[in-house]
Amino acid sequence: MLTLFAAAQSRPVEARVEEAQVVTQLVRRCASGDAVAWEEIVQRFHRRIYNICYRFSGSAEDAQDLTQDVFIKVYRTVGSFDGEKASFNTWVTTVTRNLLVDHFRKTRNDRATDSMDAPQGADEDGPTLADRLSDGVPGPQVHVESRERREMVQQALQQISPDLREAVILRDLQDMDYREIAQVLKVPEGTVKSRINRGRAELARLLQRTYKQAL
Amino acid sequence: MLGETKPGTQCAEFDTLLADAMDGTLNAQQRGRFEQHKTQCAACNALFSEVSSGLAWLNEVEEVAPPPNLVHNIVAVTSGVAQKAVRYALRPSAWERLRREMGMVLAPVLTPRFGMSMGMAFFSITLVLNMAQVRIKDLTPHNLSHTFYSSENKLMKYYENMRLVYEIESRVRDLRNASDESEREERNRRREKNNNQTQEQNQNSEPDRRQHGEYSGGHDVRLLASLNGNEQCLETYPDTNPRHLAKQRRER
Repeated sequence: MLTLFAAAQSRPVEARVEEAQVVTQLVRRCASGDAVAWEEIVQRFHRRIYNICYRFSGSAEDAQDLTQDVFIKVYRTVGSFDGEKASFNTWVTTVTRNLLVDHFRKTRNDRATDSMDAPQGADEDGPTLADRLSDGVPGPQVHVESRERREMVQQALQQISPDLREAVILRDLQDMDYREIAQVLKVPEGTVKSRINRGRAELARLLQRTYKQAL
Repeated sequence: MLGETKPGTQCAEFDTLLADAMDGTLNAQQRGRFEQHKTQCAACNALFSEVSSGLAWLNEVEEVAPPPNLVHNIVAVTSGVAQKAVRYALRPSAWERLRREMGMVLAPVLTPRFGMSMGMAFFSITLVLNMAQVRIKDLTPHNLSHTFYSSENKLMKYYENMRLVYEIESRVRDLRNASDESEREERNRRREKNNNQTQEQNQNSEPDRRQHGEYSGGHDVRLLASLNGNEQCLETYPDTNPRHLAKQRRER
């Protein structure tokens, strides 16, 4: 992710400005009813919105539904977008975040707290994710192990508080800068940085605890 | 925040600088203060280690590929929203819809031929009303109700009068029947009286005439052609006596 972030940061400023101008033009065309422009916007942003929804909700199905909801809301309110206040990227992320918060509140009672020690898959007697990670099988299963580590991070993300989770996702998984995150979360930049630090630390503690149990 | 150095200000500053340190955006002066506090404060050092570890874990996370049909679904859903909005925008008003429906219903009627027929019918009705001295102002709801109630009153009065007439006629008929019966009784009494007188006279006169009077006294004259005692062979002949005929007519 640092590589991605570094790549994003290393992009020429001119290229980013040019891209922002293209998106602004697309938004204007879309607001005037241009279906082609709308499809272009969906093509550009659906991957990013889907990833935010997936990282926050932890469910591919929920992420798909939430992404559709986000675009429906964007489509209906695209006329209210003001390019002077924020970039379209920040605006779309704000819409996504608001929908995710609503979704989180609605599903709070239904959501069960998943344990890192819970068996993976349908087999209840099967090994836990920590067991499989501690097997230490070398060689050709490296990519499998890597996939499982990613799943473990995803599960750990679901266990930290939503305030910390959204800050970490927007910063470390979506490469947004602190100013944009502060706009989306409507908190000062200092609070954003503090939340990011605490979120990263909380995530590390959860994963280290899992590793200690596995060992 | 625990710290071997002065807690508070330096730890808070360390927390603020920590994110930038992870990004590698600290300048030399900030980096110096940051590193110095990290070596002096165990808690902040532990926090730095945890944040670094967490960030390393997050670095392993890769972008998730969305479902291949996601774009298609989004465009389909939003185009449905757009079509609904367009349908709503193009939806005619209630008055226009009513006009359109009425036009469809009345389309077979609104033809020149039907118009001519309607014109002739209207002219005929107007002519009839004019001849009947019905004025347009009489066709107002108030006048129509007034006409209705007055006609109803007239009808009721006519009915009451008819009933009175029938009752009077019925009474007259009863009276007439009663007088006829008294006359009839009087006549019967008179006839019986005459018969009694006749019988008394016959008893006093010759028997042939009494017998003839008995035989000619009834309506039918029985001719005892053969008085052999056989009743079945009796024949009757109509009475042709003018006096008897006149009496029969009166009784009838």
